[in-house]
Amino acid sequence: MKEQFVHTLTNSFMLWFDHFLLEKGEAFSNQTGTFYHTSDDFLDDSYVPFSSPYKQFVTDSSIVGATLPTGITGNSHYIDYDNGRIVETGSNYTSSSAITGTFAVKDFNIYFTNETEEDLVVENKYEVNSRIPTYNESGIAPYDQVVPAIFLSTATMENEPLAFGGEECTKVRVNAVALSDDPYKLDGVLSIFGDSHNEVFYPIPMSGHPNNEYGDLKDGTYSYDTLSSAYSDNKPFLVDTVTTSKLTDKARKSLANDLYVGFIDFDIQVHRFRFS
Amino acid sequence: MARLPRDVQMAIEKQAPKALKKPFEKEFKKKFLEVKSEMIKEFLSHPVTIELIAGPSSSNISGTLGGISNLFAFIGFDASDQPIQPILQMLENMNYNYAGEAKIGVTYNVTIPEASDIFKATPLPWASGRSWAQGIETGISGLGYLLRKERGRSGKAVQSKTRIRSGRFQNTQYISALINKYKKRFNNIK
Repeated sequence: MKEQFVHTLTNSFMLWFDHFLLEKGEAFSNQTGTFYHTSDDFLDDSYVPFSSPYKQFVTDSSIVGATLPTGITGNSHYIDYDNGRIVETGSNYTSSSAITGTFAVKDFNIYFTNETEEDLVVENKYEVNSRIPTYNESGIAPYDQVVPAIFLSTATMENEPLAFGGEECTKVRVNAVALSDDPYKLDGVLSIFGDSHNEVFYPIPMSGHPNNEYGDLKDGTYSYDTLSSAYSDNKPFLVDTVTTSKLTDKARKSLANDLYVGFIDFDIQVHRFRFS
Repeated sequence: MARLPRDVQMAIEKQAPKALKKPFEKEFKKKFLEVKSEMIKEFLSHPVTIELIAGPSSSNISGTLGGISNLFAFIGFDASDQPIQPILQMLENMNYNYAGEAKIGVTYNVTIPEASDIFKATPLPWASGRSWAQGIETGISGLGYLLRKERGRSGKAVQSKTRIRSGRFQNTQYISALINKYKKRFNNIK
């Protein structure tokens, strides 16, 4: 199936959300450290993966102060930004190779999900990936979803007639569930997005997504500001209303984990013709 | 038909509002109370309202959960909660006031709550920034049910072994449709 409106919206929203949080909240920390070998059955023997103790890395060069991965040992590797790891591709590397580097790690991982809120909050088990370094540091396993994290999903979409000629006002509800290991960070996220009402972001097709299937950057570099401005001739999406709320303390006590939970409900609006 | 002279017309237009204010108000009040009463009656007879008033022992008469469990438990209310009360209070507080003279008549302003006002007054028991009344229209997750189950609060629905998931919830028209309908009815009072 070719890309549809909601695919473009999802892609654009996720990129905007990530950028907005990193920019407004400076929600990242620069780290220098060791990458630890972690096996990955999905990779063949010519790839040797080394994971940092954190995921996800910041990819966006338009975020002031964020150090994009640099000083990585070795000259033949790719960076799996989503899983916070370096995958060495040369034959000189073994599982005992020492890999170090500097990178910026997001305070909150961002995931797009189809899971229900009850699965996200009650059923799922997470590894808490604290952003505070510990003495028993080790690489974090790839592919697992770890918290602090924000899970995005599209909930509903409706069209309302807007103008003669068939133009519609399309309204899409996007929900975000934020899971945090401390209330300060959760309050920060809710505050930032509570203020995002009336922001606009441009439709970026899925082909414009900066990452490839390995989690590396397609073009070696990515700036949200540059990418977004390349599509600024299109009608923007408007963040019409935003409602934030937290899981009450009473309800939180019944959770098996010790996470702080917040909800951000976005109403996104755009004027468009159907099937465009 | 003979037309009234202009000065007579002007005299009527000037004197009528004052002279007719009382009979007009009596008539308007009667019609206003009729429409208000109809609105409250319609709200109270909505299947969602009936189900929530019935509390944790109700069956899913609204059909929003495919007949499994009931809304009261699904949303996560405590047995002692009265979720309908704030809405009913807002509807009962609807009133009108004299707004001024019109051409051979008077105008009244009717204060009717907006759907957004009602949403603000109906927080979910587990996330106060979200409205359960809005959730009835746009979708509501089964998180309240699961959290309540984990805590083992009192109430019959806690005993249910059936897994309730948000995917089971069927949105339905509720507050917004009611407000829109009766806004028109109040506007049409003549």
